[in-house]
Amino acid sequence: MSKKGRIIYHVDMNSFYASVEMAYRPELKGKPVAIAGNPEERRGIVVTSSYEARAKGVKTTMPLWQAYSHCPSLIVLKPNFDRYREASRHMFSILSEITPYVQPVSIDEGYMDVTDYVNEENPIQVAENIQKRILNELDLPCSIGIAPNKFLAKMASDMKKPMGITVLRKREIKHKLWILPIEEMYGVGEKTADKLKKIDIETIGDLATKDVLTLKNLLGINGERLHQRANGIDDRPVDPDAVHEFKSIGNSTTLPYDMTNQTEIFKVLNQLSEKVAARMERKDVVAENIQLMIRYYDRKTITRSKQLNEFIETKDEISNIAKRLFQQHWNEDPVRLLGVTAQHLTPREEMAKQLDLFNYEKEAEKEELYVAMDQIKEKYGKDAFIKLKDTKAKMSTSFQKDFLSEFRENKKGKS
Amino acid sequence: MKILIEREPLMASIQNVMKAISSKTTIPILSGIKLEANDQGVKLTGSNSDITIESIIPKEEDGVINIHEIIPGQIVVQAKFLPEIIKKLPNNQVEIDVDDDLNLKIKSGHAEFKLNGQDAEEYPQLPMLQTENSFDLQIDLLKMLIRQTNFAVSVSETRPILTGVHLKLEENLLELVATDSHRLASRKISMNDAEELFFNNVVIPGKSLSELNKILDETQDTIQISVTDNQILFRTKNVYFLSRLLDGNYPETSRLIPNQSKTVVKVNSKELIESIDRASLLAKDNRNNIVKLVTKGQNTLQITSNSPEIGHVEETLETDSIDGEELKISFNAKYMIDALRAIDSDKVSINFTGAMRPFVIRPEEDDEQILQLITPVRTY
Repeated sequence: MSKKGRIIYHVDMNSFYASVEMAYRPELKGKPVAIAGNPEERRGIVVTSSYEARAKGVKTTMPLWQAYSHCPSLIVLKPNFDRYREASRHMFSILSEITPYVQPVSIDEGYMDVTDYVNEENPIQVAENIQKRILNELDLPCSIGIAPNKFLAKMASDMKKPMGITVLRKREIKHKLWILPIEEMYGVGEKTADKLKKIDIETIGDLATKDVLTLKNLLGINGERLHQRANGIDDRPVDPDAVHEFKSIGNSTTLPYDMTNQTEIFKVLNQLSEKVAARMERKDVVAENIQLMIRYYDRKTITRSKQLNEFIETKDEISNIAKRLFQQHWNEDPVRLLGVTAQHLTPREEMAKQLDLFNYEKEAEKEELYVAMDQIKEKYGKDAFIKLKDTKAKMSTSFQKDFLSEFRENKKGKS
Repeated sequence: MKILIEREPLMASIQNVMKAISSKTTIPILSGIKLEANDQGVKLTGSNSDITIESIIPKEEDGVINIHEIIPGQIVVQAKFLPEIIKKLPNNQVEIDVDDDLNLKIKSGHAEFKLNGQDAEEYPQLPMLQTENSFDLQIDLLKMLIRQTNFAVSVSETRPILTGVHLKLEENLLELVATDSHRLASRKISMNDAEELFFNNVVIPGKSLSELNKILDETQDTIQISVTDNQILFRTKNVYFLSRLLDGNYPETSRLIPNQSKTVVKVNSKELIESIDRASLLAKDNRNNIVKLVTKGQNTLQITSNSPEIGHVEETLETDSIDGEELKISFNAKYMIDALRAIDSDKVSINFTGAMRPFVIRPEEDDEQILQLITPVRTY
């Protein structure tokens, strides 16, 4: 791929969850709407909100009580993940009609490399058409950044919201990008921003003109990377397969209160394991390693993991190991947060189970069924069978990451 | 004690008893070799708690003189350095001298080593094996029995009893079985003169058998095998090999062997090995070393292997015949190759009873004596 003259789009859905809700219930349009997890509990935080709510000071990750104090008329909705997934799928399929180089990065944003696919057309015109189609077919707003690379495209899509189309050329970075405060740079989190400010870097321009060595000493390899990005350099290709490179699946939860009762803690571990198992099932993977995270009341955090000799996938298998790890490593201090992560994942289709002479009968009983399934798969394709899933159990904030693998699966099915 | 001995038989004996000596022994004196000299010859002993090996060097054997001079006595000498010392001595004759202070002197040509010995009285007394349960086998046959079964013992300690080879003798039929619960190797031989003998649940550690196999030469001499409740003794003219037996009940394995089949494949063994070996080149990387075998028309087999990150291999193999139902089955390539090598026959017959059930490999000449069983891998 020639690095010169690439045309990259970053498509970013505007307040995605809230917009989807508004598309379903048009009477909400123009009103302050927020989507939040569990309104009753202290972890009830704003996941996203409409622009009307944002205008009143409601922000993502803000606790609900605080959001209400900013905006008493706020309409708070529980998330409907199935709706979001459906909308996302539709949105990405529209993008895939333009170019095969679509790389979703989350449920509501993705990159496109349209270099070889805009032909004679004006890239801005193409972007406008995408934006119109998403609005017409889904009733959803989005912003599109157009730039010669992913980083600039991402920064560009942020510049005008909602329904913006922003072109960021490399020669424009001095007056469009460098003037932005450093914390608005993609890739600079709170901690990095603090560190940079200590060496008097306040804007992206300050970063771009700082010498690389100082940055490297301060931030390691990431310092060098950020310096390049600030100068508009980013070679990363748009990789449609990148979404599949997940290595672990984990869920964690802050407890409603600090817990010391093992029975209660085990209940939480059961719930977390159930979520992890559900996500593993969605991705069709099995795990060989389970990790438990315990954060104590004083925020001291430990992680302990157990390497297994076999593949596991069910809720019970996961929770049994998580509980055993807990019993082995808990120091009996009050627990503030628990996390369960399945690691060393293998796609089920690459997995194989060596049968055991002494108990193969259990598997062999179903042999006729498997043979019949294989024959049908051969005749009608891999998707002839779908596992019945309990969709209710799927609500989780880690959900966003998971849909990505689905996207890839769907694409694979089509090609 | 003093001996003047030929270097070669001494070296061979040292190497034999070294097989039993472990550097990690918990009983310090067992890290040494015991040397005992009497008028008939010299006996070397090496032991760990599981295996004890005695190797005798007769003063004279078949008209060849091994030992020229003997003053009886005994000593225990550190095993760690002895093999290298003896190996590198300049002359073909070695003089070993022990004084009253347990100092050992090894002389050969102009080289002289002085080693500290240990009192042989402190060396554990070996149990005397008292048993009526003895039978004879030809050594090369015993070695073949070991080679055909011992590879299939379990290497994992999850079921310790499966780390041994099960020995069973009844009605003049001796049977050895080994299984790691994924594959099973069985070998039977008819005995001529063992009518009164009967034993079962004798489980010899796989490691003992592989050491024994290394010590024994491929000859047609006989070896005497004596069995007690917890030990087994193999005795040739000059070697005693005593092994502990494994505790516990060996599982009943005869019921595991399918007595019917749905698909029967007859094939050239060497061609099948080579084909599976090629397929497993790519499969070695995946966890179970899986190859897939599919019956095709015109008596051909398709053998494939797929490693998503590396690539795919596919080949067809012509067989002598394929009878019965169509079949697709996946299995560990190593198990198949091990089994075919153990059978060591030009043509084999493979009896399948379905993709999820163990299959049986036998030599094609309908010989009931050897059988290899492999459980397949279930792919998803």
